[in-house]
Amino acid sequence: MFQIIPKRLTIVLIIVIVAYFTIILSLLKHKKLNMKYTLLWLFTGVAFLILVLRPEILVWFLRMIGIVGTMNGLFLVLIGFLIMLVLSLTSIASRQASRITKLIQTQGLLEKRVRELEERLDKE
Amino acid sequence: MGTANKNSDVLIIIPAYNESENIENIVDEITTGYPQYDYVVVNDGSSDDTARILKKRGYNHINCPINLGIGGAIQTGYRYAKANDYEIAVQIDGDGQHDPAYIAEIIAPIEKGEADYVIGSRFVNKEGFQSSFTRRLGIHFLSGLITVLCFHRVKDVTSGFRAVNRFFINVFAENYPIDYPEPEAILDAIMRRKRILELPVVMRERETGKSSINFKKSIYYMIKVTLDIIVCRISYGIRR
Repeated sequence: MFQIIPKRLTIVLIIVIVAYFTIILSLLKHKKLNMKYTLLWLFTGVAFLILVLRPEILVWFLRMIGIVGTMNGLFLVLIGFLIMLVLSLTSIASRQASRITKLIQTQGLLEKRVRELEERLDKE
Repeated sequence: MGTANKNSDVLIIIPAYNESENIENIVDEITTGYPQYDYVVVNDGSSDDTARILKKRGYNHINCPINLGIGGAIQTGYRYAKANDYEIAVQIDGDGQHDPAYIAEIIAPIEKGEADYVIGSRFVNKEGFQSSFTRRLGIHFLSGLITVLCFHRVKDVTSGFRAVNRFFINVFAENYPIDYPEPEAILDAIMRRKRILELPVVMRERETGKSSINFKKSIYYMIKVTLDIIVCRISYGIRR
């Protein structure tokens, strides 16, 4: 039984993942990230931690879907995660665009009312 | 949120984006010729003198602080119509293409309760400004697409000259397509099984300024609107 990931690389990857979680947690602590939008990032981190600790899961999964090269498979999985993250960001951006539109409209309608009230006050 | 200066059950919505050269003509035409209707100009974050002119002339207007695009501007008008309890809303372009003389004709079927959504169409009688050949080709394509998808023929799907009843005022105040909304709004109306009517109008060539759609944009326009229509149709499911 050969090692799928060399021991030294395993240690390095664990350190990287710990750093990754530290950064996310510190951003969360300083309210620079919204928990709602962070769940996918946290989930990704947990998934990679599992893959680093139990690389045979990755190999088993890759064999199952018919990929022979482990490194290739790793890249494929990574790209898959990234596409999911970007898609979720696009969806967030779209939702925010429509909410901003609503806000601008409301602001415009309110500005009109304020303007008219001021004009009426000026006349009195 | 009502306002005191409501004199009519009909509201004319005039979206205006950088229309400083046209806006006075069109609003004055309405206020002098057709004072029986209320109107509201939606200044869609114009970067030119539009806001100053609207203020100076004392026109009834709403200022959107940021440019929303035609869909967002029209929707602002519908929200205003809903808030002020109007029975009928008419949308006309702020560039003087649409002759307010036809407003009485296109709101008549709604007043009589015979239609819910009326489109002023330049292709029914083929009179007046007919637009360029390529543009007509695009319009006929979209019209055909809507016909195939919903079995209802509307010839001038891009016309911005429309009148709707209270039902659609409420619908559009909540939800109106963005970017290039006209064809999609028609599909929405068809899929809600409402009575849609297309009446002939004569359109004028725009007086000054340039049209908002140039050649490069028209490619984006066709792709975007085609996909919008298909997605909109799919999301309604098999209802017809």
